[in-house]
Amino acid sequence: MSDAVTQRKPGVAAAVGAGPRVPTFVVAAAVLAAAGFAVPWLIDSQLALTLMTQAVIYAILATAIGFMIRQNGLTSFGHAAFFGMAVYLMALNGKFDAVPAELAVLAAIAVPAAFAFLAGLIIVRLPALSFSMLTLAVAQSLHELMLRWRELANGDDGMPVRLPSTLFGVDIELFQAPSTMFVVCWVVLVAVIALLTLVARSHFGVLTVAIRENEERTRYVGYHTLVPRALVFALSAAVGGLAGVLFALYNAFATPGALHWSLSGEALIMAVIGGPHAIWGPALGAVVFFVVKDAVGDLTEHWPAIIGATLIVVTVLLPQGVSGLLARFTGRRAASKP
Amino acid sequence: MTAFALEGVGLTRRYGGFAALDGVSLELEPGEIRGLIGPNGAGKSTLMDVLCGRGGPTAGRVMFKGRDISRLSAQARRRAGLARSFQKTNIFPALTVREQVALAARMAETDNTDEVLDALGLSELADRRAADIAYGDQRRLDLALALVGRPSVLLLDEPAAGLSIKESIVLALLLKELASSWNVTVLLVEHDMDVIFTVSDRITVLNLGRVLAEGTREEIRGNPEVVRAYLGSSIE
Repeated sequence: MSDAVTQRKPGVAAAVGAGPRVPTFVVAAAVLAAAGFAVPWLIDSQLALTLMTQAVIYAILATAIGFMIRQNGLTSFGHAAFFGMAVYLMALNGKFDAVPAELAVLAAIAVPAAFAFLAGLIIVRLPALSFSMLTLAVAQSLHELMLRWRELANGDDGMPVRLPSTLFGVDIELFQAPSTMFVVCWVVLVAVIALLTLVARSHFGVLTVAIRENEERTRYVGYHTLVPRALVFALSAAVGGLAGVLFALYNAFATPGALHWSLSGEALIMAVIGGPHAIWGPALGAVVFFVVKDAVGDLTEHWPAIIGATLIVVTVLLPQGVSGLLARFTGRRAASKP
Repeated sequence: MTAFALEGVGLTRRYGGFAALDGVSLELEPGEIRGLIGPNGAGKSTLMDVLCGRGGPTAGRVMFKGRDISRLSAQARRRAGLARSFQKTNIFPALTVREQVALAARMAETDNTDEVLDALGLSELADRRAADIAYGDQRRLDLALALVGRPSVLLLDEPAAGLSIKESIVLALLLKELASSWNVTVLLVEHDMDVIFTVSDRITVLNLGRVLAEGTREEIRGNPEVVRAYLGSSIE
């Protein structure tokens, strides 16, 4: 049989997943990234910048979860596993001085991705609810491991993330001062959204949406469906790991909380509020989450109840999330909505 | 000797003690349109499944252009040029018409997305989401997903299901024209006898998992066993 799989025709890639021209899109992303540089000039408060930096880190984690929902139609209840895995890989590397910190940063992204890919080959085949429960179970297992193996990770007391004075040739202070770290995290967030948008518009992106929509039919037009689904999970895990790296660099401390289900839950809530049908939706959800948390947190300690009410309102009235509402106002097609 | 475009040899599919297919053999000449009819439960869809790789036969072989493809996956059979459509509309609702046809074309020998969209009257709907187009258009899109890339053999499971009489006949004539101009061999399961007798070169009749009769339209119409088992008075 001829290997038709390897034959690619010019023009097909452009037809599949055609969207706005790439240069325009890249310029828009660059302008958005550059806008982040203005924020520390406009906001003096270190506390506000700290909160905003944390919000952007969680926005990256929420983006990872949203991408998974958008492309695979699967909801992860345990994405903190990849976030926390990256944090602890950085911390343990500092403790044992195993490899240079730069390599540890790369490993903290690659290891969660590889773990997700291999696990994905098994668990993405399962019904959606089973997948969700298994991701939760894996994350909680890692949480318990770090909590109870005190000799390794110092349990609930946590452990410092020892870092060298420079990382990738940059003074480590840059990653730990709110004014500069906010810019770093913001640029990373914009880059992640841009990258995932390009992936979603590529042949791979259209293929994975097709699999999400109708896996059987995708097989009967000639595609294998398992590896693409596992790759989406791996890419999502890599982005979760990237968020964990930024968290570890900024806080220089690891606790089991980085693996806890409540972190997975909060990031999932952000993704749902923002609406995962748009790649940028979950990041917007993170903004809403932190604004509500900050505004209501000053008034009552029961702010999670307000977040819960917000989630209910969004789920009932805006099933495509806040980004869906914005898309409706701007008249844009909600492509590939889950 | 010229190989058949598609050949089933002694195909049997058992579910426990029940044989949904019981030693069915059929040979499709290159370029012919073969109608496959029979009462509900006769084994028509099971035969389509076995031929396209949706579960293997319990016994028997599937030959494609003289090659035994019984062990090939559904994906590999599609890439080799054996395509199928489904009884229920089986498309990708969130993708645009063009996105999904182009996606299917990418796995085929030939990228004729525009040609297929044009031939099936879908060009003007190309940028609309499949979920937003009419049912009749969705049925033609389903057909487009199978036809794109010019497969050599096409298995069609009730392509006219849910269409009006007029739409069914239009679809049948279109199918006959495309099969002829693109030299596609077609195995067509259809309950609409107008469609079957309009397009089929030969007809195979299944009953209780076995081949009851095979022949031209006239032979099938005149076969008393077929009339008794399936056609009844519908062709009087």
